[in-house]
Amino acid sequence: MLSYFLANLTFAGIYALLALGLNVIWGMAGMINLGLAGFFALGAYASSIATVYLEFPIVLGVSLGVMVAATAGGVLSQLSLNLRGDYLAIVTLGFGELIRLIATNETWLTNGSDGISGVPGPFRSSLTPLAFNAVACALVISTVLVAWFISERIRKAPFGRALRAIRDDEMAAAVAGKPVRLYKIQAFAIGSALLGLAGAAYAHFNSYVAPDIFRPLLTIYIFFALTAGGTGNTLGAVFGAVLVIALLEGTRFIEPFFESLSGVQAASIREIVIGATLIFVMRFRPKGIFAERPPRPLGTSD
Amino acid sequence: MELLPQLLINGVIFGSLLAIPAIGFTAIFAVLRFPNFSVASHATIGAFAGYAANVWLGLPTVPALLFAFTTAAAVGCISDEIALKPLRPYGALTAAIASIALTIVLENMVRLGFGNDLRGYNLPLMRDWRMYGVRVGPQQLQNLILALMIMTIVFLALKFTRTGKAMRAVADNPELAELKGIDPTFVGRLTVFFGMGLVGAGGMLLGLGTSIDPLTGFRFILPIFAAAVVGGLGSIPGSVIGAMVIGIGEELSILVLSATYKSAVGFFAIVIVLIFRPRGILGERKF
Amino acid sequence: MSILNRRLFLGASAAALAAPSLLGAQTMPIKLGSLTPLTGVGGTYGPSMRDAISGVINQVNEAGGLLGREVVLVSEDTQTSPEAAVRAARKLIDVDGVAAILGTWASSVTTAVAPLAWESRTMLMCVSGADSITQLPHQGFICRTQPNAELQINTAGEFMLREGATQLAWIGRQTPFAELSIHVLEKIAAENDFGMDSLIYEADKTTYRSEVDQILRSNPDFILLGGYAADTVVLLRDLWQAGYEGQIVGPAYAVNPSVLDTLPKDVTEGVFTWEGAPAVESAAYANVQQILGVEDVDPYSAQTYDHANLSILAMAAGEGTTGDTIQSNLRLISQGDGALVDNAVDGLAMLSGGINYSGASGPCDFDDIGDIVGTQFVFKLISNGVASVHSRT
Repeated sequence: MLSYFLANLTFAGIYALLALGLNVIWGMAGMINLGLAGFFALGAYASSIATVYLEFPIVLGVSLGVMVAATAGGVLSQLSLNLRGDYLAIVTLGFGELIRLIATNETWLTNGSDGISGVPGPFRSSLTPLAFNAVACALVISTVLVAWFISERIRKAPFGRALRAIRDDEMAAAVAGKPVRLYKIQAFAIGSALLGLAGAAYAHFNSYVAPDIFRPLLTIYIFFALTAGGTGNTLGAVFGAVLVIALLEGTRFIEPFFESLSGVQAASIREIVIGATLIFVMRFRPKGIFAERPPRPLGTSD
Repeated sequence: MELLPQLLINGVIFGSLLAIPAIGFTAIFAVLRFPNFSVASHATIGAFAGYAANVWLGLPTVPALLFAFTTAAAVGCISDEIALKPLRPYGALTAAIASIALTIVLENMVRLGFGNDLRGYNLPLMRDWRMYGVRVGPQQLQNLILALMIMTIVFLALKFTRTGKAMRAVADNPELAELKGIDPTFVGRLTVFFGMGLVGAGGMLLGLGTSIDPLTGFRFILPIFAAAVVGGLGSIPGSVIGAMVIGIGEELSILVLSATYKSAVGFFAIVIVLIFRPRGILGERKF
Repeated sequence: MSILNRRLFLGASAAALAAPSLLGAQTMPIKLGSLTPLTGVGGTYGPSMRDAISGVINQVNEAGGLLGREVVLVSEDTQTSPEAAVRAARKLIDVDGVAAILGTWASSVTTAVAPLAWESRTMLMCVSGADSITQLPHQGFICRTQPNAELQINTAGEFMLREGATQLAWIGRQTPFAELSIHVLEKIAAENDFGMDSLIYEADKTTYRSEVDQILRSNPDFILLGGYAADTVVLLRDLWQAGYEGQIVGPAYAVNPSVLDTLPKDVTEGVFTWEGAPAVESAAYANVQQILGVEDVDPYSAQTYDHANLSILAMAAGEGTTGDTIQSNLRLISQGDGALVDNAVDGLAMLSGGINYSGASGPCDFDDIGDIVGTQFVFKLISNGVASVHSRT
């Protein structure tokens, strides 16, 4: 039970990294990215390929994963800067699927739909499963704390204020002399870096990557996490991620109450409950459980 | 057999089927101004409603299609009223995310009722006709004609009926429309009704050539979105053109790309078109 | 948050159920996990796979249980996603403490769950075809009832030769065995101086008309299919509409009963299928038919029926209720000189004299790495919408 709890805390941490990444892109800069799963995949694959095929140390693999995702984010946002939100939504959605198609078909690089197994985890071979989960959980939670700290710094820094200005009124921000294009690309790249970091963490915790992992459903869960937690609020992003994992896992335990139903019906009810809960949370807390609060200017005390 | 003309014909047929749900999607976008991702589950619902009418009630294609239209339209209205409408004031993207949650709920309601088994329509199947070295299926031809008829009705209705004119007015400029005494809420409901109805009918038309299961809608949402974006979000003629671009593009792609990359065509079409025309081929909200 | 509270409450009550296994071990039920795809693209297969396992467990419980204890099925959904499946498997292992996880379908799901299984010493029985699975360092905690891909394709290729093929073609979706399949067929074609063409298509499309046009350009007279049910149903239709007159052979899990139900009879007329065959005298297949209440059993359901029987018999033989017991006793009851049995209830009664389980999907004999050996194949010919035995290997 403890092992299960730790593992899910780790998953929640990985979801929180994703939500924090999305928070920079969407919450702060107002750009939508429905291709989260694609950036998550880039980080996971880059780190897996580096550590399994090239036998890089894990730290180097993870850094590579972060860099690849950040670069892809920068390039994609550069290409799509002129697009309004709804178009960007569909472009990024397509991008996520493209990454999955490449992962499925470019067997020479990704081992195709077989996936890459045996991705090393820190100290995995010398630990019991429980101890490994504890180590992974501690590592991921510290990473989330660091990411959270960085996000907060960005949010309070002039850069973060400029991003919010761009999000709320791009024209006004441009008139005020903000380098809108550059800031947007930077925000997208920073956010993508966090998504890639989450992917790398996932690969090393799970020890396996395959194209099927990166289906759009994951993107949806992260959007729920951020929307439920509170868009633009870093604490909300983390809390939302925990909430989503709690919901995904908690619904498993309702199944025994539907014993008269067939397996597929019980599984459908579980997913209906997940979807409906998310709609209810959004409907009654449309700004999220923690609404965004504009930060105090730096230098003022509490 | 000549490959190129054959692929062109396949593409035109696929594109015309794709156009129906793409029109529905883009019309809802034009009036309500958010991408409603629940078209996936409404296409599935239409396909299953058509199945029920055809297999259980023994209705032929056209009445079954009407039944698919009505069912998807009704489900669309009810679910919009409960789940999406209250969220629209909080921004297009909030509503869009909620529409994804709605998709999960609706898809699983279909699964709860019908299970995951593959189901096929009870329609006679005929071998393709061959003319001038290319082949075309009688059923494909029938679907093509049905799709063209639906498109004609849509265009005539938008042009000449009061409701159609009201929809165009709201799409064009909601404030002005309201000043003219058009109730935007009512027009919004009508749009959801007809939009989701078209999506449902399109789901059935696309499902006729395959077999259906709760994931049916998911299999063609990417091309539907791509069609709407390429043509210009909110533009109905644009969505038809976009559907043709995607349909023909996907089929022709196997000449140059591995068939495993068919879905990537939509993405590349979007990127190429948007680089030159950031608002799509026909621009936005041109009815 | 009320959701959090509820989750904690439910989690706590689940813990309360699981914890006393130390105290009242003799009276606690023995848990077996089913991890099949109930939603997602594998959803056409998972439900009946789960029902087959459930049927075996019911039969064993009605006959008095296992080691005097009740056997309980805990069922989770893989959602056909390795991400979701890993979370589900962790729940089965850590919360329920199942002795075995049965019925993983997608190769990616099996590979993702595999390290959890061997690290926690839980048995994992799968129906996945990727050859790489049994090559993982699993220490005997994985076995599969699906013959490996190379053997399957070789068998099908030889069948095509026997039936007089001269121009081969393979068309299927991207899977871990797509390239291997093409490679094997190319080898067979080269040895016999035949032509061979292949095409890998994208799964989840609503039409394959252009793909069919493409593959028919080489004028094949025998096509081997390499998809799953949802895409095979589209492909068969498109091949028929295109006027293809040659022969077709497809895996029985792709041209399965639900595909035959769905398609008009003309379309499937003359199509061959092949699958691992139960021993001819085995009553196991009939038992699955009865459990599921169907005439034609999907090969995957036949296999999960075997998974449940094998794990129950292995636990009985080792008089233990853990994954370790199953791992070390599996081959004791699945192969060798013992009396042939085809269901767990008979097997439990005859256990002391030594048994050899032979199930609904084949003889169920395993080699050192957990691959199935000695599988015989049965080829069936579909006529008037019904598959009937054509030949055996």
